[in-house]
Amino acid sequence: MRALILALLATTLPALAADEDAAALLLADQTSAAAETSRDWRVFVEAAAREARPQGPGLAQHGTRLSVDARLDKTFAPGWRAVFADRLDMERLAGDTGNRNINTLKEAYVSWQAQPDRIADLGRINARNGVAMGYNPTDYFRAGALRSVVSLDPASLRENRLGSAMLRGQQLWTGGSLTALYSPKLTDNTSDRAFSPDWGATNQSDRWLLALGERLSTAFNPQWLLSGGQGQSPQLGLNLTALPNDATVAYFEWSGGRSDSLAAQALKGPDDAAFRSRSSTGLTYTTPNNLSLTAEYEYNGGALDENGWNGLRHGPPAAYAQYRGYVANLQDPATRHNVFFYAFWQDVLVKHLDLTAMVRYDVGDRSRLHWFEARYHWSRVDIALQTQLNNGDPRSNYGVVPERRVWQALVRYFF
Amino acid sequence: MKLARLIACAALMASASVAAAAPSAQSILAASDAIRNPDRPFALTVTLVEYRNAKQVDSNTLTVYSKADASSGQFRSLIRFVAPARDANKLMLKNGNDLWFFDPSSKASIRLSPQQRLLGQAANGDVVTVNLAKDYQAQMAAEESVLDGDRQTRRCYKLALAAVSADVTYHHIEMWLDASTSRPVKARFYTESGQLLKTAYYRRFQPQLGVERPTETVIIDGLDPNWVTVMRYSDYAWRDVPEVWLQRDYLPRFKPE
Repeated sequence: MRALILALLATTLPALAADEDAAALLLADQTSAAAETSRDWRVFVEAAAREARPQGPGLAQHGTRLSVDARLDKTFAPGWRAVFADRLDMERLAGDTGNRNINTLKEAYVSWQAQPDRIADLGRINARNGVAMGYNPTDYFRAGALRSVVSLDPASLRENRLGSAMLRGQQLWTGGSLTALYSPKLTDNTSDRAFSPDWGATNQSDRWLLALGERLSTAFNPQWLLSGGQGQSPQLGLNLTALPNDATVAYFEWSGGRSDSLAAQALKGPDDAAFRSRSSTGLTYTTPNNLSLTAEYEYNGGALDENGWNGLRHGPPAAYAQYRGYVANLQDPATRHNVFFYAFWQDVLVKHLDLTAMVRYDVGDRSRLHWFEARYHWSRVDIALQTQLNNGDPRSNYGVVPERRVWQALVRYFF
Repeated sequence: MKLARLIACAALMASASVAAAAPSAQSILAASDAIRNPDRPFALTVTLVEYRNAKQVDSNTLTVYSKADASSGQFRSLIRFVAPARDANKLMLKNGNDLWFFDPSSKASIRLSPQQRLLGQAANGDVVTVNLAKDYQAQMAAEESVLDGDRQTRRCYKLALAAVSADVTYHHIEMWLDASTSRPVKARFYTESGQLLKTAYYRRFQPQLGVERPTETVIIDGLDPNWVTVMRYSDYAWRDVPEVWLQRDYLPRFKPE
């Protein structure tokens, strides 16, 4: 009997497979032949509603936001290219007298590719380096770049920021390149005006950067950086990635050089210049069903250690606030040791539903920031629900955030 | 002794002439590669349409620039996302297992592992061209008639391909190639444990860049046969791809015509 069943299976399975293949080929016959054409621009509008509940007693605050985001990348003559990226955020807070409109001129520059291996750029450029996900110590042009924060997702923070005015040149060769850039001081003054290009936020001092990338083998492609400028010692940087197996990417990002501690800089303390390192070390593992999990350890040798942090947060509130404001502007962690977890799952259960979860954990004071997003998208429309939860003692790294729980729902339309 | 050597030599020559008459599995596979892959740097547009249970659930358009490595013979590719709008102008660089993704909005160059998929069912390696004869050892498994993607019965060589390095997307492959033309007809891709990952049909052969090439691949999922991806190739063109472009540091610069 068993032999008969096996024999029946052996004869019917290929037939079933043939039927399935025939059905698939029939579908393919009906597929439209038209291919989309490329465009030089991308524009979207985003509408969001937000509710924020405070840490202590008190009423929830409600607000809405409308954003317009545009990016143009146009070749206007052979070898010449113009790039423009801008975002306008219009926020309305219930109970607030004023409305807050903030325009972020992210990029505006021209690029000249004199030869396939030689390129020069001039204008406002978002010059970003770093292979880590949560904290990029070699992202030397991040200070002062955030003008409007609409999400704590690191991808959003990297995207929605001001570039710096600079002249940049790059020479490429097989498997490597050298980039040199100079970013001049333009003004000392930052601006809160809605449509200000805010050059003072990004160009308060003369700065320069050299970046050398060289592929030593298919698997080993380090990038070395040297950054410096007015009033700062040169900082050396390194970006490394490796592929331990088919499912894992390991990365290491490091920056080091002489500098004052962040506390001395923020609180105008005595000169305590010393060699200080900053680093991010992490792994991204992808499961067979396409869930990517990242764990990252972040070390900031310029930030306060546990004792210093405890002393500051239990001391005068003004100094505490001043320190926090200073490091937030630099986009540097406030404390020495932090851990970052990030999970991204594409097409969860149903096609086009993506889930993202993030946890930032301060090892010193054990406070945590949780952020979660569920996003569903059609071809031109995204809808998303985001929530953020800040846990920790009062005046801990994340417990001090006035909002304990934030909800945000948004819809985005791509033109 | 001398006679024995002469007989041995004659036998060797006879066997060599038989081998020359019947093409080896590896040379058939290489001939099939040459049909799928232009022999100079080129560009094409790939449109991926994905179906679940006979309903279209996704569509992506990509532009692919490819160039073979002079030493390994394997292709390196720059891929530009064209559609949908949310992904427009994002880039991917594939050089063997060295995969980088670049988003022009965030300026982030992110290294990907081969297991990370950006395009639903299609592995990143599926959308670029691959010289199978460089990565797989082929053995003749059978000669048989099969129904091709255009529902024509074709006399085919069935080859069994075994990966020669771990740096490939599939552990082993069964491949049917037209016995008279070496055209790829059909393939089944397997995991190391022998599980069927996907079946592919190569079809709609048209003259492109001087050779009759398949302009469509139909991919059927191994576990869920109702999950089907149609990959359509168009706008074939010879394109110069300078060697300096094929690196992470060029991704922010890549702006195809």
